[in-house]
Amino acid sequence: MSELEADKLVDGAIVWRAPPAPPRSRRLATALSNAWHELRKSRTASIGAVMLVLLFGACIGTPWLATHDPIKQNYRERLQSPSEKHLLGTDRLGRDIYSRLLYGGRRLVTIAVVAVALSLVVGVPFGVLTGYYGGLADTIGMRIVDGLLAFPGLLLYLLFVTIAQAWKLEGVMIDLVLVSALALAGMPEKARLARGSVLAEKQKEYVEASRAVGDSSVSIALSQILPNIISPLIVTSTVRLGFVILIVAALSFLGLGTPPPTPDWGSDLSAARDYMETHPLIAAFPGLAICYTVLAFNLFGDGLRDILDPRLAER
Amino acid sequence: MLAYTLRRIAQLVPVLLVLTVAVFGFVEALPGSVLDTLIGTEGGDDAETREILAKEYGLDRPVHERYAKWLVRTVQFDFGNSLVTRRPISLELMSRIPATVYLATVGIMLSMMIAIPLGTLAAVRRNSAVDYTAQVTSLAGISIPEFWFAILCVLLFSLYLGWLPSSGYVSPFEDFWGSLQFLILPAAAIGFRQAAFTTRLTRSSMLDELSKEYVDTARALGHSERKVIFKYTLRNAMIPTITISGLQLANLLGGTVVLESIFAWPGIGRAIFEAILQRDYPLIQAGVLVLGCIVVVMNLLVDLTYRLLNPRVKFA
Repeated sequence: MSELEADKLVDGAIVWRAPPAPPRSRRLATALSNAWHELRKSRTASIGAVMLVLLFGACIGTPWLATHDPIKQNYRERLQSPSEKHLLGTDRLGRDIYSRLLYGGRRLVTIAVVAVALSLVVGVPFGVLTGYYGGLADTIGMRIVDGLLAFPGLLLYLLFVTIAQAWKLEGVMIDLVLVSALALAGMPEKARLARGSVLAEKQKEYVEASRAVGDSSVSIALSQILPNIISPLIVTSTVRLGFVILIVAALSFLGLGTPPPTPDWGSDLSAARDYMETHPLIAAFPGLAICYTVLAFNLFGDGLRDILDPRLAER
Repeated sequence: MLAYTLRRIAQLVPVLLVLTVAVFGFVEALPGSVLDTLIGTEGGDDAETREILAKEYGLDRPVHERYAKWLVRTVQFDFGNSLVTRRPISLELMSRIPATVYLATVGIMLSMMIAIPLGTLAAVRRNSAVDYTAQVTSLAGISIPEFWFAILCVLLFSLYLGWLPSSGYVSPFEDFWGSLQFLILPAAAIGFRQAAFTTRLTRSSMLDELSKEYVDTARALGHSERKVIFKYTLRNAMIPTITISGLQLANLLGGTVVLESIFAWPGIGRAIFEAILQRDYPLIQAGVLVLGCIVVVMNLLVDLTYRLLNPRVKFA
């Protein structure tokens, strides 16, 4: 009753009305402040969160933050040291390093996020359903996963990149091929995790209860069990994001990513090697950018694990 | 143990099948037919040659028949010839394996030499300066891209200080000390990165062991702290570390592509990388398959060793 308030008398009757729902902006603010409160429990997580907010801010704000066209060459201003005009100096073709870093980061982070999201979208239902049904579906499903896991290190990506090159794909298409390779490679981990959690959850009472009420298997698996296994998935996905960024950077460092002149931390770093002795700063910035990004995801993921699974935080 | 081993070996079969299908499918997914590639190297682009070549290589047969045929040849280590060097691919790959094994093994040994003392010390002196240093270093090691770390090492030790060669390879059987010079930088780059993972692991499993009751008992019996740590806890705590190091070694055998190309190390990863640049598709196919098999078998061996070391694990 206390949540309702007597508003006014209409025709002698009291009209009870629910208080107006808080505006959406305030609800969002509450959610954010709750999340922040939780994050404060772990120092690593809060440092990681701040770093990530800055990173995503830079990615979203790139067009406004960048001072120069990242591709435009300017031979009069080659290999300059950091100055007021070029905040981080210029590279061998006179391009503004600061602007290239921003655009390259935007691209890299987008690729990583899309790839990890895709691996979740494919891997989690795969794992949940095979785990829930068990039997033959499970056996076949897990053998496929094992087969995918058998691909060592970079090799799966190398195969995909070779195919992309052989088809003479360009621009976004190369990124798409890369994203699908990364998603395919990330899928087994998610599927396994989801399956393992489902096997544990399947035994619990609430699943039994749903079944007794007559819910269908698929809806139990997806709507009842899935929400309960989200926290390990979030943690592994965050850590995986850092890992994916390292892989994408390594591939373009090898010259197997998007070809120049697209701004890219990996290929910029590789190109800077020739000027390493005379202008080490050019190679330093993309490397630092990669470190910062990966570190941000790792710190956030680590801290998140401690918060979500307090038993591990003791260690 | 025997039954378990046999079952695990039986489980390898489907995994290897998936691997071969994927690798075979890779060549099928290439644009144009294999014929174009063959004609490119053997010359003469006319209908007649095409037909003869198609017959000779069995390209007029349906996919599943070709796969079966390819599989039979592959099992006999007959991968055909490299399109670039014209030498048999199996020979090309065999000659590259020792360099990769050399680099990966030394790299992992370095990693364990860093990780085990550092992780143990961090756990024993928890929340001390050593502990924080270990944690920060391992976080850095996980976050720094290995290729960047490698070129920074080259910059410092080769270009500025001039102590070590920046790249190259000498076989340890020809000139052991000379080969070490070339080995130090790439092995250190591997060791640093892998140690980042294992230091954390050693620390956390050591903390886990130290909190167990048998440690209290040992202390109550008056054993010195040194004995408690070195004789009892460390042995148990080492099991996960050794297991993970084994898995890391398996993965490195299959994927030091980046470091091998930075340091011009003539390993199998670099062979595949070069094959990609030269569009030597049969070599890529065979290389990936061989590395995949090595990784699968190594993983199995590590798993079996783990169970030997740790009899408490059930043979489920």
